[in-house]
Amino acid sequence: MNVLKVSRLTIAAFVLPCLIIYVGIVFVPIMVSMYSGLLDWNGIGESKFIGLDNFRNLFFHDPVFWPSVRRTLMFSVFSMAEIPIALLVAILLKRYIRRPNFLVSSYFLPVILSVVVVGQLWKTIYNPASMGGMLNQVLEAIGLGSWAHAWLTEPSVAMYSLYFVALWQYLGYHTLIQYTGILNVPEEIYEAAKIDGADGFAADRYITFPNIIPIFKISIVLAFIGSLQAFDMVMVMTGGGPAHATDVISTHMYNMSFLSMKYGYGSSIAAFLVILCLVATFLINLIFNKLEKRFS
Amino acid sequence: MAKMSKLLSLVMAGTLALSLTACGGGSKSDEGSTSSNASGTSSNTTETPKEKNITITFQNIYPDPTDPKNKLMNKLVKQYETDHPNVKIELDSLNTDQQKLKLKTQAASKEVPDITVVNPAAQMQPFVDAKLLAPLNDMLDQNGLKDTFQDGLLDWYSFDGNTYALPDGNNIAVVYYNKELFDQAGVKVPTTFEEMLDVVKTLKSKGIQPMAIGEKDSWTGSFLFMNMLLRTNNGPGFLKDVLEKKKTFDDPAFKEAVDAFENLVQAGAFQEGATSFDYNAGENLFKTGKAAMYFMGTWATGGIETSSVNGKVGVFKFPTINGKGNPDEFMLAPGSAFAISADSKHLEETKAFLNWFMTNFPKEAFDAKGAVGIGQKVDGDFKAAGYSDMAMEVLNLFKEVKGGDLAFDNTMNPGTAQVHLTSIQNLFAQKKDAADVAKEHQAAFEANNK
Amino acid sequence: MSTSTAVSLNKPATAAGRGRYSIAKTIVIVFLSILVVTQVYPLLWLILYSLKTNEEILSGSFFALPHAPQWSNYSAALEGNYFRYLLNSLFVTSVTMLTVILLSSLCAYAISRFRWRYGQVVMLLFLVGMMIPMQATLLPLMIIFKNIHVLNTHLSLILPYVAFSMPIAVFILSGFMKTIPHEIEESAVMDGANIGRIFRSIILPVSVPPVMTVCILTFINIWNEYILAATFISSEKLKTLPFGVNSFVSQYSVNYGAIGAFLVLGALPVIIVYFLLADKITQGMVAGAVKG
Repeated sequence: MNVLKVSRLTIAAFVLPCLIIYVGIVFVPIMVSMYSGLLDWNGIGESKFIGLDNFRNLFFHDPVFWPSVRRTLMFSVFSMAEIPIALLVAILLKRYIRRPNFLVSSYFLPVILSVVVVGQLWKTIYNPASMGGMLNQVLEAIGLGSWAHAWLTEPSVAMYSLYFVALWQYLGYHTLIQYTGILNVPEEIYEAAKIDGADGFAADRYITFPNIIPIFKISIVLAFIGSLQAFDMVMVMTGGGPAHATDVISTHMYNMSFLSMKYGYGSSIAAFLVILCLVATFLINLIFNKLEKRFS
Repeated sequence: MAKMSKLLSLVMAGTLALSLTACGGGSKSDEGSTSSNASGTSSNTTETPKEKNITITFQNIYPDPTDPKNKLMNKLVKQYETDHPNVKIELDSLNTDQQKLKLKTQAASKEVPDITVVNPAAQMQPFVDAKLLAPLNDMLDQNGLKDTFQDGLLDWYSFDGNTYALPDGNNIAVVYYNKELFDQAGVKVPTTFEEMLDVVKTLKSKGIQPMAIGEKDSWTGSFLFMNMLLRTNNGPGFLKDVLEKKKTFDDPAFKEAVDAFENLVQAGAFQEGATSFDYNAGENLFKTGKAAMYFMGTWATGGIETSSVNGKVGVFKFPTINGKGNPDEFMLAPGSAFAISADSKHLEETKAFLNWFMTNFPKEAFDAKGAVGIGQKVDGDFKAAGYSDMAMEVLNLFKEVKGGDLAFDNTMNPGTAQVHLTSIQNLFAQKKDAADVAKEHQAAFEANNK
Repeated sequence: MSTSTAVSLNKPATAAGRGRYSIAKTIVIVFLSILVVTQVYPLLWLILYSLKTNEEILSGSFFALPHAPQWSNYSAALEGNYFRYLLNSLFVTSVTMLTVILLSSLCAYAISRFRWRYGQVVMLLFLVGMMIPMQATLLPLMIIFKNIHVLNTHLSLILPYVAFSMPIAVFILSGFMKTIPHEIEESAVMDGANIGRIFRSIILPVSVPPVMTVCILTFINIWNEYILAATFISSEKLKTLPFGVNSFVSQYSVNYGAIGAFLVLGALPVIIVYFLLADKITQGMVAGAVKG
């Protein structure tokens, strides 16, 4: 595979600049964070080494922690479930629309809007009808008034409202990715398949899908990253409330580190997050290596 | 931690040297920028006998150009810079949340700006304990600055005989109400909590939103709850008693306050979806005439005066609950305060500036019609200066203050406070048994005060 | 999941008589158009919002047009430091993007094409950091930056932005570079070209599509970032647009229209650039990965 045999110096020149910045700015701070997770420290004054006490409290005595992990994972499950929908949209675009680029660009628009805009917009949509909320007004207008909810403040529905905003915002993102993936499947393969009698969606089953597995991988990775980093959106829309009902791992970490001033404890959450990332990276690679082998 | 960071910096210095040569393009940005530690660059300039040029970083929480305090600050800063050509004052204006996060991050690396903003009592304690703030006693004695502050106010900012911060405000909590909406519903100002519940119900039945609150910022609900506790406890000092282990949260007074609070919520006092409204959004409901009552600190007076309901608004004291409490006891809100970094490279100059700033603050605030609820004494006829009727009403209430309590997060440590804030916010979302709320508080208190 | 979608959709396609086909097509077009509306409307809403008075915003319905466009909202928004914030953001973002592309393509090239022992180890190292949120490192970064004296400079933003963009960039680029045929390099080596030249004049030009992808991903990740921006930058003249938007929004409580105007102005540069480049972006996006 790797053809070029080059001197060590050359390798160093190619790799080191990138690696050093990465290690210095990403890796070292994370190590520091993990170490802080072993401290009883308010972030300002003296710190005390307490071993794994933070982790013990986190895993066994923190009523907010596991639900926030569950929500984060649900977040990524929903984000990933969106990818097939995006694929469908992409396939429809390619099949039925002669010049789909404008449509693809339009779908992409919400992605580049800042989370403040998106947050304000959806708060306006989700507001109770008495506060001018659009969603509830529409529901009432079509006779489904009983379906109306206080979308962001009922503990049982608030989190789903947030998931939905993320799905909405990133639909265009995944559509774009899938769409360009499809475009990159060589047309000849479809032609050949046509002769063999595979056309339309049958062709998608046997050609498009196997060919864009690597794209799926990128989409899945991005979806997972997105859900781990949902921090901004949750902060803008609910701030983790009401009463932790919409806390995810990152907001819980923020609350602990900076509001409760338990920086050591917050760092133990950060350490957990890092380990979760490792496991996820490992799993995703494992699954896709298998998939790629099966289909190629 | 200190050792760790030194090691880190060594590694990083090496890293950076390498990476900078590798990406020459990336490093241009910092040329010519005067950073907060500008002493290095400025002291190198030609050393004439005259005073050297310095930059003072002034972190503040007035980023809104329409806020009178922002205008005031800019005006005073500009004037000082004109009078002292060698001093440059760099304003770092942040909103409250950003400022809190930034200061805590800065404090962890001992990089506190020359002037920053802290909150009184328990909230500033960690900064004082870590010796990050400079004592200001000597500076308070200059130009008689100390005497301009209201009696006893500086105590909230003093630890072991040293004063560490100078507040720009000193407020109390009141209930603002919209007279027009009250007339529409045919209700009168309530004198007991029970009457208040009736007022809420009547307003509600007339299709008027009784109260507004911005409960996404959970301190707003807590502030109201603490006022109710001040009544059911028949006077101030409940939290102090808990801290001194004379009482627990399981006390009947606490549970009574929870019940009263839940009654208010269950009566439909607050707008739907209150927990997704931030402070501004909640206040705006009242300021646009969409809600009849608004419980808030008197700092809101200025904003209400410049809103569309100006002229229709009155204020009343929070009433007694089950006959308990004294309406002349208020929630006291000694304001955010300016502190100086103990590590400031220009400690003397910074003190001199802040002394001048605070000395001139009351007069300027008075002229800018922003003197309601400031922390210093003001001489001047408010009425003659054109202050509104509502402002006069508020000023009169100040005269009737017979003590009170501080907000929860100014009394208890941050760990306990966060649990409390969440617990109260939860009451907006679901009905809870008062005993459970008490238990939750007590558990958090014990876990955080080992 | 995807398989089942494809199978269930099999029916209309295989049974495609001419008339049915056009019905199917109509349904699809309607569906796709509805999607356009739901995805684009927010921007329209924002523009309408920015032209309304406070009363219209608070009392009007979601769809209402402004009675008279309030252009004064825009002048109010421009009174602040909009242009300075914008310039700073453009500077920080473009330097970050250039650095990311240069450094990570070098690194990706070495990982995917050189014969050396630790290539996979380096790759693994990058994979590990790919998902970690930037904000988790806020405090350690502050300490590091204090000690290397870059606080309150643009470098304190560029460094973390670059570093956190690298893993995904290396991931995508090396995936693509693996697929470049070896013959190209071999013939260049025959012609006596050194490795630097091969990289510059052969590898980089053919890698344009995945580089575009990396640009977009990097851009999306950093253009709206504000927590680091608010924490590491104190000088007014160095602050960036997301910071401006955030402080404007959270503090300008009295003038909704101006907030809207500021938000429009904040999103506008991106939207313009995006639509100008839309075709290229669509072509370039993940071109690398599909072959990897």
